[in-house]
Amino acid sequence: METDALNALVSGAIWRAEQLETHGIRPASQAWAEVSSLEEELAKALAVSESEGRIARRGAVRAALKAGDYARAHALADAYLAEEAPRSLKTALRKILEEDAQAMASRFRFASRHHSLREAQDLARRFREAGAFGLAA
Amino acid sequence: MHPRLPTDLALLMVGRAALALERNAHAQGVRLSLDLERVLSSGMLSWPGADLSKIDQHDHNRITEDGAEAVALALAHRHRAWRVIRRMQREEHADWLLEDAREGVRQVVALEISGVDRGSILARLSEKLAQVAKSTDVDQRWAGVVGFEEPIAALHFAKREHRGN
Repeated sequence: METDALNALVSGAIWRAEQLETHGIRPASQAWAEVSSLEEELAKALAVSESEGRIARRGAVRAALKAGDYARAHALADAYLAEEAPRSLKTALRKILEEDAQAMASRFRFASRHHSLREAQDLARRFREAGAFGLAA
Repeated sequence: MHPRLPTDLALLMVGRAALALERNAHAQGVRLSLDLERVLSSGMLSWPGADLSKIDQHDHNRITEDGAEAVALALAHRHRAWRVIRRMQREEHADWLLEDAREGVRQVVALEISGVDRGSILARLSEKLAQVAKSTDVDQRWAGVVGFEEPIAALHFAKREHRGN
């Protein structure tokens, strides 16, 4: 798909996700997953040497975190960190993951004292997917 | 004007700009004061009619913010010939990424936009300039603020905020 079409799609997807988030509507995480996919497609189409390529790479990782898909966020970040990318992008990607990890640790303070971050992230994912009763199952 | 701006989004923003203007009792052809990088001038605003009886179906703040985006993006194209590339996530410190293709060299512009329903836009403009100054991987950083009480739109350039890394 052409980058112009992808840019138009990502604009619409970010807009929808922001509107859902503003109203605290739960499917916002699905909307952010869509944003992450489109940002990933843009990142494939645009070289890391281009500013828009770097914006798309940060966007793909960030939107995956907003969608609560930590595995995807880390996989994307690992792939982008393995590229011959400018140091500023690598620093930014690590910072995005660190900030999310800190936010997660403060959101799940008790869990973070007793479990690793990965375990806490898995707990959050299961809670998001199945609700409180799902955890007891 | 902005071929990469999705039509549904453009219509929604224009519709909310119409609501923001009409709830402030403005009519078609209202005078808009312009502050383009501290050069003052004025223009005229026209829009498709809004149905104020349905205004309660919209979030109050979204009317102001989305309406401001419609006015600022129109202004950015009319006065700087910029075109939208894409919307950005808020952590990029700007709402829109645009391109400036004048003078044969393509430059990428980060534009942060905000709206003020009542009162002065000055404090908001300072706030938004500080925000967009943090934007990275762009050639230019700009903030656009639109006030709806006495229609005014400002578009100012922000100097890049230099950080340690």
